[in-house]
Amino acid sequence: MFKGVLYLFLFLVFGEIIVHLFNLSIAGSIVGMVAIFIALKLKVIKLNDVKPASDQFIKYMVLFFVPYGVGLMTFYDILKMHWIAIVISTVLSTIITLYVTAIILQKFGKDE
Amino acid sequence: MSEIYEQPLFGIFITILAFQLSKIIARKFKFAVFNPVLLSVVSIICFLVIFKIDFESYNIGGQYLGFLLGPTVVALGVLFYEKYEQIKANILPFVSAVFLGGTLSIISVSTIAIVLGAPEFILKSIAPKSVTTPIAVEISKIIGGVPYITAGIVIAVGIFGNAFGSAILRALGIKNKNAIGAALGTASHGIGTARALDEGKLPGAYGGLAMCINGFLTAIFTPYIINIVLTLFA
Repeated sequence: MFKGVLYLFLFLVFGEIIVHLFNLSIAGSIVGMVAIFIALKLKVIKLNDVKPASDQFIKYMVLFFVPYGVGLMTFYDILKMHWIAIVISTVLSTIITLYVTAIILQKFGKDE
Repeated sequence: MSEIYEQPLFGIFITILAFQLSKIIARKFKFAVFNPVLLSVVSIICFLVIFKIDFESYNIGGQYLGFLLGPTVVALGVLFYEKYEQIKANILPFVSAVFLGGTLSIISVSTIAIVLGAPEFILKSIAPKSVTTPIAVEISKIIGGVPYITAGIVIAVGIFGNAFGSAILRALGIKNKNAIGAALGTASHGIGTARALDEGKLPGAYGGLAMCINGFLTAIFTPYIINIVLTLFA
């Protein structure tokens, strides 16, 4: 478990360093996500070493974003002003996204 | 002298407490609106408002929990590796579907919002609405959105997808369960994927993988798409 936590933070630090060095406009954690996938694929690190830790982080992920959700309260006035635009655009866009993704896979995907 | 709640322990404690209580309530009422995240957020906001505690005091502790989203994004790379093996056979149509769906998500939400008169920072906050919260928050910070608004919208989109996604897709003539899983993961990330798991194990894997791929694609393309939409419509 501890080894896995170390790996996750190691790849996070690696991602942050890459972003800093090359001045990328992407988050360090996302670079770390891609890097750990590649490291697993090339068998640089073992799935069994990191899985116990990564499973725990994913399991409790929802807890970690609660504070961000609570932060919404400080934008009450702004949301009250623009809520119609926000609700209509997100609902329509979500339906478009759902349909386009599903229809392409249904038409061109193989059934297993 | 500072108040008792102006220390990290307060924010962390009430978040964990609210989350645990919300999970118990969510288990009793099997409906998507009783989602533990939504219940936690709403109950904490109510608590802070009633006791006149401002968000900044709460966030002295809250930010420690928020910080853990960073390693969680890295953990999603591990999840991606595991699921990848399961859908190898369908990888090309699958990635194309997620790519087109995910790109249209950013284009459509920002275009509709701008046409309806939303200001630029709202646009930037809701552009990554379909991807998993930790990634969406990072994208929002980088492109100049407000991460708090992003998190709120992302959670709402997830609950919407979870509650109505399958029904909408079936009404539109989608029968393939894997397609439904992939669509839920692409459009409404982890909370939607939870519903994809109800369709079966494989649709659940499709949902989880779609969530990872779309998160990655959205992180790369959002800044460019937003720039194009802004030059065309602003």
